[in-house]
Amino acid sequence: MPPRPLVLWLWPVWLLVVFFSGLFAQVGPSPTPAAPDTDVSARSKALELAGAFSNDGYKIRDGYWPGEIEPNRPQFLEVNLFSGNEYWFSAAVNPPGRKIAVGVFNETGKPMDFQTYEDGQVAAAGFVPEVSGRYYLKLTLLEGEKAQFCLLYSYK
Amino acid sequence: MNWIRWHLLLATAALPAFGSRAAESAMTSGQIDQAVRVESLTIPMPGEFFAAINKIDRPNWKQLVRVGTPEATANRAQIALVLGTLVADGYIAVEAQDGQGVKNIGKEIINLAKKLNVSQSVLGRGNSINDFAENNDWNALREELEATQNEVKLDMFEQKDSNLVTLVSLGAWVRGTELASDLIERAYTPEAARLLRQPAIIEYLLEQIGSLPQGMKEDPLVAMLRATLEKCLDYVKAETPSEENVTQLRAAMASMEKAIATGL
Repeated sequence: MPPRPLVLWLWPVWLLVVFFSGLFAQVGPSPTPAAPDTDVSARSKALELAGAFSNDGYKIRDGYWPGEIEPNRPQFLEVNLFSGNEYWFSAAVNPPGRKIAVGVFNETGKPMDFQTYEDGQVAAAGFVPEVSGRYYLKLTLLEGEKAQFCLLYSYK
Repeated sequence: MNWIRWHLLLATAALPAFGSRAAESAMTSGQIDQAVRVESLTIPMPGEFFAAINKIDRPNWKQLVRVGTPEATANRAQIALVLGTLVADGYIAVEAQDGQGVKNIGKEIINLAKKLNVSQSVLGRGNSINDFAENNDWNALREELEATQNEVKLDMFEQKDSNLVTLVSLGAWVRGTELASDLIERAYTPEAARLLRQPAIIEYLLEQIGSLPQGMKEDPLVAMLRATLEKCLDYVKAETPSEENVTQLRAAMASMEKAIATGL
């Protein structure tokens, strides 16, 4: 399994931030309301997630896989991976999609063991192939309605 | 203290979920058939190949950097193929951390791109390559080389020259595989040989060549590439290609690369 990027080890700090920001919210309303989520494209959300992995030495490929996904109709992408390399596949979905997941299968369609990161509209799969060759990525819309998605590919 | 408990609960519920998983059920044959291929992700870049090689035994990349100007030709198919091999050479120079080498190769890529009438935006990439090479920003250079190749391909699509796109990918793959098979042949190990297991890429490239217009398919260079790829498919099918397979692959890639460089 690829090691978790340092940034993602910091979630306990993030938990404290959320907790204490909640405490301060008791004192008064926030002066800056959050921007509507629809302003953020799937690609930029996926880039934000992939950026966390690049802090750990992963290189983001220039290409990306955009498309439309709907419930009960997963999308599949063929990729060719090298044994020994470590990969993260980061995806994001726009509203009205609410929750997605990324899966990894070998060339015969057998599910592989991989590391997951799932946080609602963004998700990633971390994978270290033991055999070079063809693999398939599966993108599933777990919650929400038909929406635009984008998937990015990082390796090291 | 209910509000404290409430905030803890809220913070915990908002946590992203990290874990390990084997994906649910196996894919059906129908799902395998419907899998899409996006050339900019489905076909690995030479840098990805070289990253895997570095993990096994870091070669002396400096000795592998090529110098010299490609032979002049008016054959557009050959220009596209040479452009692909130069992209792979760019990655070799990046691995060697040879700034001047990267700049020279970047200049050659742009010169060839001009012959294919690409847009001004691609030509601007040449300046970026120079800037990153000046600053020894090797990671940025890897990204810039891939971005340059993708921009050249995009331009080809927009100019209804999409037939040449496959040839750029093919050129990069041939040069990358030639180098990798040469390194693996010199110090064969099963682990290293497994990197060469790429039948799906060859099948994809053969399909793309098969979809070229008849005139281009009959180009002697393209016809030779097709025949060589068909032969090489057998060398890279096994989970661990044998020493003999690696030698055969290296010889085939070397003659193909020579044909691309000099024409037939």
